[in-house]
Amino acid sequence: MPSHILNGVFNAINMGLIVVDQEYKVLLWNDWVFKHTHIRQTDVVGHKLSGVFSEPLSTMFLNAIKNTLAYGMPTVLSNALHRSPLPLYDLSVCADQKTRIHQAITISPILSPQGEKYCIIQITDPTTSIKREKMLRSHSEILKREAVTDALTGLYNRRFFDEHYALTFHNAMRQQHCLTIFMVDIDFFKDFNDYYGHLCGDEILKAVAQTLKGKLLRAGDVIARFGGEEFALILPNLPVGQAESYAEKLKDAVFDLAIPHCNSPLFKVTISIGVCTGVPSAEYDILGKADAALYLAKQQGRNRCVALAL
Amino acid sequence: MLSEIQLDALAEIFNVGAGRAASSISEIIHDEVKLSVPSIEFKTSAEISPEALSLNHGRFGTVRQDFSGSFDAVAMLLFSEDNALEIVRDMMGSQMSLDDLAEFEQEAMCELGNIILNACLSAMADMLSISLDSSLPDYKIASCDDILHAIAHNAGQDYILVLNIVLTSAKRQTEGQLILLLSSASLTNLIQHIDGLVSGI
Repeated sequence: MPSHILNGVFNAINMGLIVVDQEYKVLLWNDWVFKHTHIRQTDVVGHKLSGVFSEPLSTMFLNAIKNTLAYGMPTVLSNALHRSPLPLYDLSVCADQKTRIHQAITISPILSPQGEKYCIIQITDPTTSIKREKMLRSHSEILKREAVTDALTGLYNRRFFDEHYALTFHNAMRQQHCLTIFMVDIDFFKDFNDYYGHLCGDEILKAVAQTLKGKLLRAGDVIARFGGEEFALILPNLPVGQAESYAEKLKDAVFDLAIPHCNSPLFKVTISIGVCTGVPSAEYDILGKADAALYLAKQQGRNRCVALAL
Repeated sequence: MLSEIQLDALAEIFNVGAGRAASSISEIIHDEVKLSVPSIEFKTSAEISPEALSLNHGRFGTVRQDFSGSFDAVAMLLFSEDNALEIVRDMMGSQMSLDDLAEFEQEAMCELGNIILNACLSAMADMLSISLDSSLPDYKIASCDDILHAIAHNAGQDYILVLNIVLTSAKRQTEGQLILLLSSASLTNLIQHIDGLVSGI
């Protein structure tokens, strides 16, 4: 290919190309590099690379060239670890840019047929892909969070609860640790809705959810909206004998909110709680037992806690 | 086949390379990192199995470079999924799963592999007075089967050097493997150069 066409190719390419010889003297400096430095090829050819920029070059970059020339092995300088090794700027908008563009650099050896060593420095600007990845990542984090969150109360949803329950059950079984499940139900919730309306009902769900959540103490404790007006709590490793007193605290906390409920015998919003605690093994249904305990609490008059052993 | 003394000489070479790689990595991440090659094993491709390579059946972050020159070799650096993630997390403060690793972090892994492979092979070039060319590093996520397949696929490269690598930072110690696939001609050539080095000491 004729050299003027070759030069056209170098200048048309959408990446920076710099070629240096064994003495680090510049042989090629394409238009892309000019655009990002405003330094012309004619001003740098034959000059040492370390002196052609207005700022000193990092030792890491110079060492990479040295190693590539000495050993004939290509070197990559990732954007992730180096950000902006060369003083290159986006000068298209403002000729006085102070922020370097992001760069991903590959330095490859070239051996001439006569045995002379050169190296080619290829520079790309990964800004677009970094931005796109950041955007995708933040979208995916939001979606991941939404997928496990109950929209009304902000608690974990049933989907999260089921997975988390299976996991903690398995862990407790393997490590022979105690697991405690609390099933919580708002008393006479249907009557509340019928009298005050569904919007007020939603407010009650939120208030109870926040109150129960505020009673969680340890990092591994989880509360989820189990369904309708039912909530479930998973507390691994709760010390023996504390399950019932903890349930009483939950019940009292909701009672103390003193939310009026004229269709309830106590004229207040209250909850009933079923508790089951123990070291699980595969044949035990700790969740089912907690639910049965809740049923008993309802039968025995509501606004109370019932505990069943595993 | 390699004698004890030849293997010792190789271990020495790779430890020099590991030292160079450690100082480059420390400089980049602004944190003291140590790299050592505590053991080196020599195998034929017939002996290759997951156990022989001490691979578990999970997935690996791999960086591969093909070297040619005084002898030809395929060099592969392997870190298990967990270890690769720990390294990237420590370097970048990132919290991703291996599949979610963006181009950004994969590049960092690729550079890390490039540093270690270049340092080990250039130490070899220095100490054995040979010259080597190399392809650009290629980063891939691979299963144990993929790796064994890649080894089997390099027909003619019947010998394998397995280097166990330990990367130590202030936070943790991470183990990986560097695998070097050699043809029998390349092995013969390598042995000659090692003998030259050993007799020169």
